[in-house]
Amino acid sequence: MTRKQKADESGDSDDLQALFDSIAAGASMSEPETPPAAAEDDPPAGGDDESLQALFDEVSSAFQAAQAAGEVPAGAEPAAAEGGGEVFNRIGQMARQVHDTLRALGLDSEALTDAVQGIPDARQRLSYIAHMTEQAASRVLNATDVAKPLQEKMQSDAQSLEERWNRLFGNELSVDEFKALAEETRSFLGQVRTTSEATNAQLLEIMMAQDFQDLTGQVIKKVVDLAQTLESELLQLLIETMPEDKRPARKEGLLNGPVIDAGRSDVVNTQEQVDDLLDSLGF
Amino acid sequence: MSDPKMKFLVVDDFSTMRRIIRNLLKELGYTNVDEAEDGLVALQKLEAGGFDFVVTDWNMPNMDGLTLLQNIRKSAALKHLPVLMVTAEAKKENIIAAAQAGASGYIVKPFTAVTMAEKLNKIFEKMGK
Repeated sequence: MTRKQKADESGDSDDLQALFDSIAAGASMSEPETPPAAAEDDPPAGGDDESLQALFDEVSSAFQAAQAAGEVPAGAEPAAAEGGGEVFNRIGQMARQVHDTLRALGLDSEALTDAVQGIPDARQRLSYIAHMTEQAASRVLNATDVAKPLQEKMQSDAQSLEERWNRLFGNELSVDEFKALAEETRSFLGQVRTTSEATNAQLLEIMMAQDFQDLTGQVIKKVVDLAQTLESELLQLLIETMPEDKRPARKEGLLNGPVIDAGRSDVVNTQEQVDDLLDSLGF
Repeated sequence: MSDPKMKFLVVDDFSTMRRIIRNLLKELGYTNVDEAEDGLVALQKLEAGGFDFVVTDWNMPNMDGLTLLQNIRKSAALKHLPVLMVTAEAKKENIIAAAQAGASGYIVKPFTAVTMAEKLNKIFEKMGK
């Protein structure tokens, strides 16, 4: 199958092979722990990792810029040294957070490793689906191409015999003609048997061709899972790396229920405030 | 050849595949077939008794085919049942794991009617010995 080739191209196929060998050989259970650690220490030199590194650098520097712009101008001379220290700490914490996030998301997370490796894999899976459905369609069409002429011949032979039998019952046939008809009818019955067997084989073929539904169904489920994983992880990355002040105000509907945070400035806490608001609006 | 009245349980989460296997068994002369959509349902049906042969998929929700097989082999009442795995899992690890868990046969999807007949006959031969 096509997806196996892809697995062989991935960076840690040696680790996987070693893992397989060790399990097949009945080696100790501690072996399976090794590959993830190896993957962390020695990331494959694929373009994905470079772009992850670039993403890290970019996000990290954006944070530092945002923090510097936001924090440094605040405060007078004496506070500057203190503030600088705080900025430094916060930048450090932020960088740590981004780093941890990226790690959590990918560098040593099976989920992201799987997801990143999953993209070319998903492409292959989709072409596998295209291939399987096409194959199933042609199997069915081929089967009908075989069966249809068989059925048509049987139909026309039966029709011609029927007409002659009708003539016989109308006393229109000579004795010799009747003998020929009886002989032909006998051989026709034999043909019906063999033709039915052949048609039956084609029906079986049509039935077997439907097995693509199970196989493509499994593959489609994997691709959908991958898309969901990628979406949620990218969303998580976005949320966790977005500077506080850049976060768009959450869009709230009109059904927020009771106010939980009384300190908010956009809500009213007393009936008096309600009346004041209505007054100010001219009601 | 075995008893055509023997009762099969076909376990697969895809109804299309259950129908295909049921039809194949019918084609081979076995008409006494019941179905289950996962290992859990299968185990309940098997424990109720009356089955002679299990044909199961591997990858299923709730309980997969390997776990089902392991449960069958653990059960005193069921451990003698032949279990044929019919699955898309084609890795060596899978085949080894199934064999180690006591599978009677292993068919990789997609498969042909001929393969199905061959594997069934092979299992019947072994049972006959």
